[in-house]
Amino acid sequence: MTPAGPGALRLERLWEQRPLKRSYDVIIIGGGIHGLATAYYLAKEHGIRDVAVLERQYIGFGGSGRNTAIVRANQRTQENVRLYDEGLKLWPILTDELDYNLMFFNCGNLNLAHSEAAVNAFRLSVNTANFNHVESELLDAQSCKELIPILDVSDKPKYPIQAGMYHPPGGVLRHDAVVWGLAKGAAEHGVDIHQGVEVQGIDVQGAKVTGVRTNHGPIECAKLGVMAGGYGAEVCAMLDLELPVHPLTIQAMVTQPLKPFLHHVVSSGAYHVYANQTLKGEIATGAHMDPQVNYTTDATAHYFKHQAEALTDFMPALKGARFLRIWAGLADMTPDMAPILDGNVGFDGLYLDLGWGYFGFKSGPVAGKYMAEFIARETCPEILEPFALDRFLENRYMGETATTMKYGHWD
Amino acid sequence: MRRLAPSPTTRVEVDRPVPFRWVGRSIEGCQGDTVASALWNAGVRTFGRSFEYHRPRGLFDLEGEGASQLVAIDGLPNQSAGTTALRAGMSVSAQNVSGDPRSDLYGVLDRFDRWMPAGFYYRRFHRPYRAWPFFQNRMRALAGLGVLDTSSPHDDARRSELYLNADVAVVGGGVSGMAAALAAARPGVRVCLFERRPWLGGHMDWRVRETRGERLYERAHGLAEEVAAHPHIRALTAAPVTGIWGENLVTGFQNGSDADGFDERHWECRARAVIVATGTIERPLVFNHNDRPGVMVSDTAWRLARSYAVRPGMRAVFSVGDDLALEAAVDLASLGIDVAAVADARADGADPELVAALERAGIEFLPGYAASAALGKHAVAGVTIATLDGSDERRFACDLLVANAGRQPDIGALSSAGARFRHSPHTHTFEIESLPADVFAAGRVTGLVDAEAIETSGRRAGLEAFVHLAGGLGAAFPSTDEPSVYAELTKIRAYSSELPGPPAGCGILHGPNLGSGRKAFLDFDEDGTWKNAVQCAEQGFDVPELAKRFGNFGLGPGQYRVPGQNVAMAMAQITGTAIEEIRCTTVRPPLIAPKLATVAGPNHDSYKRTPLHDDQASRGGVFRRAGAWQRARYFSDDHTCRAEIRNVRENVGLLDSSPLGKFRIYGPDAIHALQRVYISDMTKMKPGRCKYSAMCNDTGNIIDDGVVVPMGRDDYYFTTSSNRAASTVEWFRYHTRYDGWNYNLVNLTDTLASINLAGPRARDVLRKVTDADLSNQAFPYIGYREIAVGDGIAARCMRLGFVGELSYELHVGASHAPHVWDLLWSAGEEFGIQPFGLEAQNALRAEKGHVIIGAESEQRVTLLDIGMGWLWSREDTASKKVGAPALRACQDQPNRMKLVGFRVDEGGGSPQDGAIVVDGDDILGFVCTTRYSEALGWQFGMALVKERAIGDGDVAGLEIYENLGGRPRRTRATIVPPHFYDPDGTRLRS
Repeated sequence: MTPAGPGALRLERLWEQRPLKRSYDVIIIGGGIHGLATAYYLAKEHGIRDVAVLERQYIGFGGSGRNTAIVRANQRTQENVRLYDEGLKLWPILTDELDYNLMFFNCGNLNLAHSEAAVNAFRLSVNTANFNHVESELLDAQSCKELIPILDVSDKPKYPIQAGMYHPPGGVLRHDAVVWGLAKGAAEHGVDIHQGVEVQGIDVQGAKVTGVRTNHGPIECAKLGVMAGGYGAEVCAMLDLELPVHPLTIQAMVTQPLKPFLHHVVSSGAYHVYANQTLKGEIATGAHMDPQVNYTTDATAHYFKHQAEALTDFMPALKGARFLRIWAGLADMTPDMAPILDGNVGFDGLYLDLGWGYFGFKSGPVAGKYMAEFIARETCPEILEPFALDRFLENRYMGETATTMKYGHWD
Repeated sequence: MRRLAPSPTTRVEVDRPVPFRWVGRSIEGCQGDTVASALWNAGVRTFGRSFEYHRPRGLFDLEGEGASQLVAIDGLPNQSAGTTALRAGMSVSAQNVSGDPRSDLYGVLDRFDRWMPAGFYYRRFHRPYRAWPFFQNRMRALAGLGVLDTSSPHDDARRSELYLNADVAVVGGGVSGMAAALAAARPGVRVCLFERRPWLGGHMDWRVRETRGERLYERAHGLAEEVAAHPHIRALTAAPVTGIWGENLVTGFQNGSDADGFDERHWECRARAVIVATGTIERPLVFNHNDRPGVMVSDTAWRLARSYAVRPGMRAVFSVGDDLALEAAVDLASLGIDVAAVADARADGADPELVAALERAGIEFLPGYAASAALGKHAVAGVTIATLDGSDERRFACDLLVANAGRQPDIGALSSAGARFRHSPHTHTFEIESLPADVFAAGRVTGLVDAEAIETSGRRAGLEAFVHLAGGLGAAFPSTDEPSVYAELTKIRAYSSELPGPPAGCGILHGPNLGSGRKAFLDFDEDGTWKNAVQCAEQGFDVPELAKRFGNFGLGPGQYRVPGQNVAMAMAQITGTAIEEIRCTTVRPPLIAPKLATVAGPNHDSYKRTPLHDDQASRGGVFRRAGAWQRARYFSDDHTCRAEIRNVRENVGLLDSSPLGKFRIYGPDAIHALQRVYISDMTKMKPGRCKYSAMCNDTGNIIDDGVVVPMGRDDYYFTTSSNRAASTVEWFRYHTRYDGWNYNLVNLTDTLASINLAGPRARDVLRKVTDADLSNQAFPYIGYREIAVGDGIAARCMRLGFVGELSYELHVGASHAPHVWDLLWSAGEEFGIQPFGLEAQNALRAEKGHVIIGAESEQRVTLLDIGMGWLWSREDTASKKVGAPALRACQDQPNRMKLVGFRVDEGGGSPQDGAIVVDGDDILGFVCTTRYSEALGWQFGMALVKERAIGDGDVAGLEIYENLGGRPRRTRATIVPPHFYDPDGTRLRS
């Protein structure tokens, strides 16, 4: 890089750019937080440093850079709570290990219930969390208002607030910082990160993965991790491996920055909304998924309006805020809203970490940690066992959601 | 300050004063002013303080592009001073500062930039980690721009919505936009035109230059009159476009006046074709202190003078890069403003006519020069101008520095419509590379500058759009004047090629002698400097998209406009990359930030009420939203509903079950369709009897249950659960889509109301209002009869028992329902009839062990797992029942979750729904529904638990755990069959 303009280059690159080699022990497809975290832990914990992360665009281009960075561990089932709880506890550790401020704002999450059925569902989640030593609490409407004074807890909203589930250990991060911090950490431990390298085919010999073909030529590898988020199923299709993963467009938006007044993450299933105020002062909000399976990242006027209606209905003060920017990304949804974490699927050496849907951000580091262990030791860590692909063949869905999911064509 | 003398372009009425307040002081503007023009005229130079460094900021542009000119008005933050119409009595205050923005304690932050390189906060404040919350809270306190008054619902504006359809939507009401609208509009072609300013005319509205014997503003006014008078054009002014979305949905908002009947209106326009004529925006020149109040783009200075009769400054210096700015200098001088010098970053290429005019006006013209720094501490007091190589630097005193680096097309609307752009070495702008087939561009956004070329491009775009809609040139046109349109388009295409195309543009990005660029701003909104851009590149964030994220370029209120192209050019220059290889960052809607209240509109809550709503309300019904409906959930403050439950068990109750899905299916293949979606053998139905069954999805989960009644040959009536009513027809059609079956489905859900009369005295009540034989022999349990109620109202009557008592479900025409309800009410008085709501029904049915889908079922359990396998016609594979393969696949699987009934052990407490079932450290399942039953005298419940909790047939116990945020409670319970109340069903059958 030769600077042509004024100002000398003095700062160091955040992560070192090394030449692309023809062969690696492990190739990870996808330069988002799952791929980078896996590479980081492979190098740091397992001494496997001959690792390349291949990213078609630039790191953090996909879901990692488009989500609203909300983290929590108050999931519905025990197997999920354990995983996400460990994930939640990793943020301070990673901040320290990576020496990079991931801007974890431990503000707590308040989820609102607007019906008796939703209150019952909250009780289940709160009980499940507390049983697993994850802090969670059921609040009445008035206590919700004390936490978030802009809530309208009267009967006026379309869906009056009945109760809330408050989860103090949760919060938000700066999503890009997590991507960059992991890239920095991975590169420091010897991992190669290559942007603009698109995998166009996967080479196999017999039932073993041997390498990938890219727009920069073929690259050999002994093990291959597919961690390409919304595009993961497309990558697996190169191996004729059809996965029960539906990519759906999910949208999010921010308002113009305002002085802080919303000090927690607030969310509502009935309104289809989550919202929090970023360190910069913007109200970041999202939640909606367009129900059609597609690969576009187009935002829609319909959702833009929906979000304004929803937010202002139960937080009327937000009527005075202004929307600044809307964007969209892909969510890789499975039929049970739980991910697929598996190894040697169909082919020896093929590892899958995808299908996260809504939950890809909060799970990134912890999934990377255990996927690295899986890849290094070639046996599935106990905590990942419930997430094997086989469960779909056996009709044993995980219970992350109570209701059966409806998207794509019927069911 | 005294206004300039009004001219024909003036848009204000200087003799109609409008008083308002600025940071507490009383000030006067005049009718037609924007907040910004009034403030500027009153001598206000500092409008607010910047986001990060708290630098004073003033009026950089009048288009509302960016944070600098955002103010708070009457407690509402982030209002654009440049575009908000002044109203009498407004209270305007500055942002990111308390009180008068001329002084700001945090202004000291401006000196700390050395310690705040791009992305610095990622490298600081996190060690030791326990210190981070402290810094985080300080950071939060400093962040944000405006203060939102959270105690106000901001609800005083009159809001409205407008949904338009157009054949052609035109975005931008300048000369090219108007010409396009006029060319396209005709009988059969409806045109909607959207202009963000309060008047049509675009940039020609304030230009007095004469071309072809007419002044430009006269041309603009003439076209505006034609547009207003045109019967097939609907023009909305003060109506900024927020985006062009999929399928040409153009959206925006509109600010109304007192005459309009609304203050703000959300509008959407679905168009078959879109013409974008959004013009240009000035590309800011990057130089040291280019953000000082008193630095502004040329249109702003020009419009202040020409549209608002406001003197932009006493003494002006120009450092610009396009002919329009030279024209502005000449024009300002003609209005009596002292223009000291005009530097043009282009060494040559300036319009000789304008150069001569400058000379005639005695203005020093400096080609090949550009501003290197603005002088003055709080506002512009002077400027240094230098040759581009920095060798010859000159200094001027001035209070107005008009600066730009040329112009760039305003690509926002086009970008959101799906256009692609590429940098052109000729115009030095990101030009249109490709457009979607039904999107057209016209005017200056295409790079044109010549007035005739601009108008012609509009006419051409209008005709192109029309011809596109008509199916292309040579297609059979629907109306009579098309041959002439064809000829006209051919002519105008040829004529266009003779007119001047886009002239060479100005390629410079920053002024000379920039130094480190630590106070030269690329992004005013978030204080992104040239130095920050260099730092981004150094750290590896060397393409615009990455620099945007890492250095916060273009993420502020002005979005893409101010920093957009400059950031791309900066990254190219800093990294030594050819600009042609650089893509500018994605433009994200909204193009102009609308208030949430405006977008939300009046936000009507639409829900369904049953015909019996009012009567239930008058009897104390407490309503809850249930799907699309409002339904009575309780009839007293006792949410355990003891009295309601007792009355159904002992006397008789009335439930409004009208939201129940009700359908007729008929036709020769109706039975095949029923066989496909219902899990039971539906061929065994008998006349006069209800057949209860369920529907499953492909994974064997139960998704619906209800009864089917044969009504005649190939004709059936069936019910679904309330929340499946909306999707039932689609479900049938989807699952029979390859069969070509002949059947019809009619949704009768809203046509028929449903009243459930339940309790031991139900027969006594019903007998009083019908002559039908209701004896147990004549009308047994599970029977179906069509009876006449009162003076002959037809009712479909089902003898069912969801709540576990003798009960009759009456389906009557919705309009008759209140009458029938009244009849039953009067008849039942002597038997103690009372209404009951959904919660009582829920407790009653649970006592009976009847499941509710979604309460006792979920994604992990199949029909078999919840004990309803008896419904499944296992041997039938020919019907291809939906869900049967899944049921077959997992019918013998071990360790699935199962539905069990339980009885809480003596003295064991009273757990609630959602309690969990545990064993050691493991969660085995959860409690779906549990209640204390007065009828039973103990707490019962149903739970979904892993099979191992059930044991091997011996009496098994459950450990129930609850902790809702205090201390854990544990309860012991014993598994019992889930038929708690009246297990033999004698009450149903008697």
